[in-house]
Amino acid sequence: MNSIRKFFSDLSQYPSAIVGMVIILLMVIISIYTLITIPYDTAITLWRGDENVWYKTPKTAQPKWINWFRKDDLLETFSFNSANGDGTKTEEYSNETNKIFISFPFEYDSNSFPQEISLFFTSKFDQKEPFVSIKLITPDGREVRIGSFAVGKTQTYRFSQDAKLARRLKGNSPEQGVFLDITTDPPTLVKGHYELQIEGVGFEENSTVDAELVVYGGAYGWAGTDHRRRDLTIPLLWGAPVALAFGLLAALGTTLITMIIAAIGTWYGGWVDELIQRITEVNLVLPFLPILIMIGTFYSRSIWVILMAVIMLSIFGSGIKGYRAVFLQIKESPYVEAARAYGAGNWRIIMQYLVPRIIPLLIPQLVILIPSNVFLEASLTVLGLGDPVLPTWGKVIQEGIANGALFQNQFYWVLEPSVILMITGLAFAMVGFSLDRIFNPRLRGV
Amino acid sequence: MAESTLPSPVAIPKKKLSDSAIVRVGKYMLVRLVTMIVTVIIGLYLTILIANMGGYVDEIRRGEIRETTQMQVMNDPSLKSLSGEQRAALIEDRIALEEKRLGLDQPFALRSFSFLKSAVVLDLGFAQYLNSDTGSKQVKLIILERLPSTLLLFGTTNLLLFFGTLFAALYLSRRYGSFLDKFVVAASPMSAAPAWFYGIFLILIFSAGLKLFPFGGMVDAPPPDNTIEYTLSLLKHMILPTLALALNSVAYSIYAERTFFLIYSSEDYVEMAKAKGLTARDVERRYIMRPTLPTIITNFAFLLISVWTGAPIFEGVFNWPGLGRTTVIAVGLYDTPVIVGTTVIFSYMLAVTVFLLDFVYALVDPRVKIGSEGGTK
Amino acid sequence: MAEQQKNTLLHIEDLVLHFKTTKGSVQAVDGVFFDLGYKEAVVVLGESGCGKSSLAKAILRLLPRNVAQYGGKVFLEGTDTMAMDEEQYRQNVRWVRMSLVPQAAMNSLNPVLKVGDQVAEPMMVHHGVKKEEALIQAAKMFQHVGVPVDFLDRYAFELSGGMRQRVAIAMALVTAPALVVLDEPTSALDVLTQANIFNVLKRLKKELEVSFVLITHDIATSSELADRVAVMYAGQIVEVSDAHRFFAEPLHPYSRMLMASVPRLRANQEPEFITGQPPSLLNPPKGCRFAGRCPKRFAKCSEEPPIANVDGIQVKCWLYTS
Repeated sequence: MNSIRKFFSDLSQYPSAIVGMVIILLMVIISIYTLITIPYDTAITLWRGDENVWYKTPKTAQPKWINWFRKDDLLETFSFNSANGDGTKTEEYSNETNKIFISFPFEYDSNSFPQEISLFFTSKFDQKEPFVSIKLITPDGREVRIGSFAVGKTQTYRFSQDAKLARRLKGNSPEQGVFLDITTDPPTLVKGHYELQIEGVGFEENSTVDAELVVYGGAYGWAGTDHRRRDLTIPLLWGAPVALAFGLLAALGTTLITMIIAAIGTWYGGWVDELIQRITEVNLVLPFLPILIMIGTFYSRSIWVILMAVIMLSIFGSGIKGYRAVFLQIKESPYVEAARAYGAGNWRIIMQYLVPRIIPLLIPQLVILIPSNVFLEASLTVLGLGDPVLPTWGKVIQEGIANGALFQNQFYWVLEPSVILMITGLAFAMVGFSLDRIFNPRLRGV
Repeated sequence: MAESTLPSPVAIPKKKLSDSAIVRVGKYMLVRLVTMIVTVIIGLYLTILIANMGGYVDEIRRGEIRETTQMQVMNDPSLKSLSGEQRAALIEDRIALEEKRLGLDQPFALRSFSFLKSAVVLDLGFAQYLNSDTGSKQVKLIILERLPSTLLLFGTTNLLLFFGTLFAALYLSRRYGSFLDKFVVAASPMSAAPAWFYGIFLILIFSAGLKLFPFGGMVDAPPPDNTIEYTLSLLKHMILPTLALALNSVAYSIYAERTFFLIYSSEDYVEMAKAKGLTARDVERRYIMRPTLPTIITNFAFLLISVWTGAPIFEGVFNWPGLGRTTVIAVGLYDTPVIVGTTVIFSYMLAVTVFLLDFVYALVDPRVKIGSEGGTK
Repeated sequence: MAEQQKNTLLHIEDLVLHFKTTKGSVQAVDGVFFDLGYKEAVVVLGESGCGKSSLAKAILRLLPRNVAQYGGKVFLEGTDTMAMDEEQYRQNVRWVRMSLVPQAAMNSLNPVLKVGDQVAEPMMVHHGVKKEEALIQAAKMFQHVGVPVDFLDRYAFELSGGMRQRVAIAMALVTAPALVVLDEPTSALDVLTQANIFNVLKRLKKELEVSFVLITHDIATSSELADRVAVMYAGQIVEVSDAHRFFAEPLHPYSRMLMASVPRLRANQEPEFITGQPPSLLNPPKGCRFAGRCPKRFAKCSEEPPIANVDGIQVKCWLYTS
């Protein structure tokens, strides 16, 4: 207990370590939270982003908070769904027709236009399709006629695709035109209270129509969206447990196995030791990333395969030298000789003498190894060799770059995962370096 | 030994040739060369094994045979008289013959050695999609053409970084405990993020945001005609990549080297040097820096290796037309022979790097003897 | 006094060196004094932990980073070296008039430079001699100490412990300084080599007209070399005497007990040991620091004893103050 307390008091002397630990704790909490609220299957489904998953989100929208920095604040996406009780909906059945009236009132006070406006209809009927007529009431009292048509069981109406509407709006694209006052020159955006009214007629008793209005702004959510309309908070959150797990497993696996190999080498000595040295030299010459690239391209991109490959290529790395030096020192030491003299078994010697001496060397190595593995996974993903189904930070960066985010002012797309990646990596590195300064006797006082 | 009278005039014995540094280093390097060659061959063999576990190297070979045979038949004037079908049949026959001759129908173990032989001499077959600048599809040419750009960028940057960090670390070790020192120590974990990562940030800030530097590439397009402008353009394009590499390696390098200097400056012989009344500069150069150089060089070796390893993505981010970017493109196109070829070349590059550093190490550390501990082992 | 200082090679007065540590101030050297003439050797005797090595550092101004206090007077050939600034000291004192043979020369030689070059270095730095001439001088020194001349081209790791120590002695003598401080020169060596080294030192004292300050705990071997003896206890000098009188009959109770603890070849008695532990240098006790272990302690000893002069012997003890 005392040594643990001393350890923490030592660590607290390094402010960078404290910051690092706080961040790591945060990441762990986020990971746990994510795993609970968005379980694996849900995440995969969301990330695959099939047809109906992300219809309500805009494409490549900036995150909400960007508006704090912008003069022309982007419109935040909003929607109404009459089936959920948004807006008002009245039905009146008389004379074999069901008159349906849906109203979606909203305040428009942004300085930018929406990207798209869509209406998603669902209707119930036996044989005859209901008919709807849509209009928009502007703040200055105008009535803009949007369109009238019959609706099937499911029907999607996209404002931007209605050429007739565009013509009526004097050539302005509809999603902008409906909010414009075209009498002024140049036309100005009219802010204020709008109301979308849908008058529907059902021709059977139980025929009814529900509508969902989605106004896609330039902004959505806390993290924005990508080119496939996916909310970026999903991969940003899910990236945490993936990164942590990959980093930790790779680092743990590599460190433990390297230690065991070093131990075997020094224990048996002779040709075993020589062989291990030669293997280490050959490993030095194997190009790490290109080989991983080969494996990723030719065989499998599954994160488990990559994890295995990373470990296999790392275990004969330079860490062996350090462990070997310590093991040799212990093996030749008088107290081990004394222990064998009084008949201590190998196991006892290992547990009592070797392990406690090696742990101070292991821990900093382990912690420092974690960020390089996290970045490695991101690197492979950025190259296009990432796990095909997992939403990770690297994936977001890769898709961002591949879709030209750097050139199209969509910086958030690449910046958000990069910053999180950076913070995580740095946190581990800071803790690891401080641990090194604590545990490595040669570094005391420097 | 005990009692001796006043010494007679003394002559310094002539240095024997076998003692000279040149011979010592020469013998050591010979051993290292042989070791390195064996290591490379083993490494290449492993690479081939990995590459061919899916039978891809076979495919490369087969593709190669098909290409050459087709070209042969097409260009042979004596066969012009044959019909299309007859020619096709002839091609297939010849291919089968070639495959038999080259032993493609032999067990894998034997084949792998013949691949090894080809790989060692860089006979890497033909690319599936890529072309070299001269229009050839030979993987060897494609790779060797792109190599100089990579060497240029990494070579200059790493040389600058090596000497820069060395003197910065020396400067810092004289100011232990100062604010600058504490800052460097706190900033050392910055090296956790790879160079390409910093590259992205740099491009975002300086190219997209401030529009000061180009987005990537090696020279302006179209490249300037006269040499001066070309060099200037080259330099302009090298600034951001160099900065990215620096951000990644400088933090840890300066920290590590400064720590080494501090540790080594508490050695007894340093105190002796001060007691002897040597100037501070002498003490620093001969008693702190010189003995620390071997350790620094070993460190540097590992740094270089990791830089090589990160080359593909780094060049991809900066669109630098080197070997790394070729790898990325090949991955995108799924051009198998090129992918395998670049891995082979990277192996060679790593071996050459380690070899060169062993050489410098042997020059710097007199404790290196044949067969004993030393080098970057 | 001034005339005495002219003939005295080394006159140390009130030398103080304290170190800053996390636990407080370690008063390693706390009031050291003694005199040394030309071609003389003074042996500073003391047990482990009395501050001997710090004394060597204090005399030679080899200060670590954590110095709390450094003061006193060190008169070398009449000049107060403590008054010099760093650069003056480097040019005029270091290795020009005073040099050092360190303990355990294993680490005192630069592993990547040839030993010959290292021995020749001070000649080049201080006397502006060219390398070839400096190497000739180094070769001469090698001969003096008994190291084969072709070892000039060797590196430190190629030499045995005894050889290295001889090289260190050669290095200390190469500029012909008047004074050489030796800090436990033979503690790390085997007995035979020890004897050899001391023979070398004895010969050099005669042949080269050099004075030694020999800091050691090895009473027996150093007694052969000593002309004068200074006894150090808990950071202070408690007795300064000439060798004859000291080894026959030391005055200070501590010196007496020290001598009584040395095994003799032809004695019937067993050596006596001194009970207790030397006091911590962190918080030295007030008054006489030996009082706790002294069999002759009395009431006055709780005050700091003055330095009494008994017929030329200086003793820091209340017993000798009249």
